Amino acid sequence: MITIKNIRKTYQSGDIEVQALQDISLTIKPGEFTAIVGPSGSGKTTLLNIIGGLDSPTKGSVKINETDITQLPENELIDFRLHHIGFIFQSYNLIPVLTAKENVEFLMLLQKKNEQARNERTLKLLKAVGLEDQIHKRPNEMSGGQQQRVAVARALASKPSFILADEPTANLDSKSSENLLNIMQRLNREEKTTFIFSTHDQRVIDKANRIITIEDGKIISDTSQ
Amino acid sequence: MELKLAWRNIFRNKRRSIITISSIIFAVVFSVTMRSLQHGAYDNMLKNIVGNYLGYIQIHYNGFWEEKTIDNSFYIEDLDSLKANPTIAYINHRIEGFALASHQKESKPVVILGINPSKESEHNQIKNSLISGSFLSNKKNGILIGKGLQKIMNINIGDSLIFLSQGFQGSIASGIFPVLGIVDLKTPDLNRRTVIMNLGNAQDFFGIDNMATSAVIGPKNDEWEKAEKSILTQLDSSQFEIMNWQQMLPELKQLIDVDRAGGTFVLIILYSILTFSLFGTVLMLAEERNFEFGVLVAIGMRKSIITRIALYETLIMSVVGVILGLICVIPVVTYFHFYPINLSGQMQEVVEQFGFEAIIPTSLNPWISITQALIVFSITIFVNLYTLVKIKNIQPTKAMRS
Repeated sequence: MITIKNIRKTYQSGDIEVQALQDISLTIKPGEFTAIVGPSGSGKTTLLNIIGGLDSPTKGSVKINETDITQLPENELIDFRLHHIGFIFQSYNLIPVLTAKENVEFLMLLQKKNEQARNERTLKLLKAVGLEDQIHKRPNEMSGGQQQRVAVARALASKPSFILADEPTANLDSKSSENLLNIMQRLNREEKTTFIFSTHDQRVIDKANRIITIEDGKIISDTSQ
Repeated sequence: MELKLAWRNIFRNKRRSIITISSIIFAVVFSVTMRSLQHGAYDNMLKNIVGNYLGYIQIHYNGFWEEKTIDNSFYIEDLDSLKANPTIAYINHRIEGFALASHQKESKPVVILGINPSKESEHNQIKNSLISGSFLSNKKNGILIGKGLQKIMNINIGDSLIFLSQGFQGSIASGIFPVLGIVDLKTPDLNRRTVIMNLGNAQDFFGIDNMATSAVIGPKNDEWEKAEKSILTQLDSSQFEIMNWQQMLPELKQLIDVDRAGGTFVLIILYSILTFSLFGTVLMLAEERNFEFGVLVAIGMRKSIITRIALYETLIMSVVGVILGLICVIPVVTYFHFYPINLSGQMQEVVEQFGFEAIIPTSLNPWISITQALIVFSITIFVNLYTLVKIKNIQPTKAMRS
């Protein structure tokens, strides 16, 4: 369960104070497939960064399973992200010197899981995203869609409580996007992992079972479908 | 995993890694070669002047160095106590006095050096300096003369030189000695004015039986500072003066010091160039990888792990660079040690005027390579501290926006 209370984020841009988020409060339950939508500059990515502990709010709290991550010291917050949060980035952000298998295995190594457990989960996830025949390829040997599927497998590898995906289909063609969304939806069902997206993509919005719309740093609608 | 990542990162941008490693190789090769040549030149100077002739330490009757007269001689038996000193390998007694040497119509002031031929031959290169004729023996009544003196006085082996000088306590010293051989003492100045005879003949000539003007001390393992300290505690300093080569040849010491300072300055310039060239690479690397570091922190990698990976990368490249540098430079240094650079033309003349052999051998002292390798290695690590600071201050959201 993610509980966000009265989040405010203010940036200083020269002499001007920019209110990126204004008193946002919301709750996301386990297993949700939530899309955060809104125009560019509305605060979607800022909200996602704050939920993921990548950025700190000016005011307010973010509780994930009773842990207020805004109060955690740096190393504990990094460890928290490692064990509880999966990230999927717009530009995939795989480690270029590692193969697909190693990229997926990477977080489990940081979690100090044994080799057998690592191998089993890596192969299972790569199979789940349809890349079991690409495990020894490095990111530069794969298409954008394939890289993003590896990123999805990597995000799930550490068995996180939820996955944050910042515009995951933005750099993909329609076929790859469709394919990726189907995979994520299936993993959401099978792994019971919560997915939270920021997106402009109508196809993503259509697949979401909850849509939170933000404008000018405020939630203007929160609907389930 | 950390080492694997570091290793693969090195091959990620091969050109940059090659440039970095090449800079390190160049710095090691240049600094070791330069320092080896410098130290080799110093060692050669010392060997020429100190090792072959002067000795690292000399003991004289107090005041002899200031006023080199035969009256400032001492009894050889007065130094018998030093024979048991464990820091001393040998003691060679000598007589050094001035005389006027004549042959036919030529007369020249010379330095007469009385030595014990068999003992001196054991401990220094004096016997090897013979270029024609025969060497001295304890029995033969004859002299060796420097090749310069031979030329000036137009004298040949078998001819005789007449010497006139002041003997002990105002007596007149005179004698005639046949020339047994010609020696090359490697330094033009010594070659022009040196006459060597056996100690007994010199004692007879100057009228100082059982006496000597100096005792050349051979320290064990060339550890002259240790020997000097030990002698100072053993001898009465009111009776004897104990001088090391730096006191006897302050100009040589100064020359070495000035040259060493010049060399250090050049090396500092080299180190600075290396530092800035490496810093440029590190700066590029840190900026390029800023995004990636941000991603790694975001997905849950502690900064300490990223720091270790970056440090391993640096360590691997530094170690490879330093080792390859040493592999390149050691054969070069070894070659020029056994086949020294021969100076020619004006340079040769200048060096010989200072009294040195006109060659520059390299030194094989392993500490030169070790020290330079460590300095270059430390610079590389120091420069890479920038990356570590950068990682420490990384903020994932900012880094991923870069």
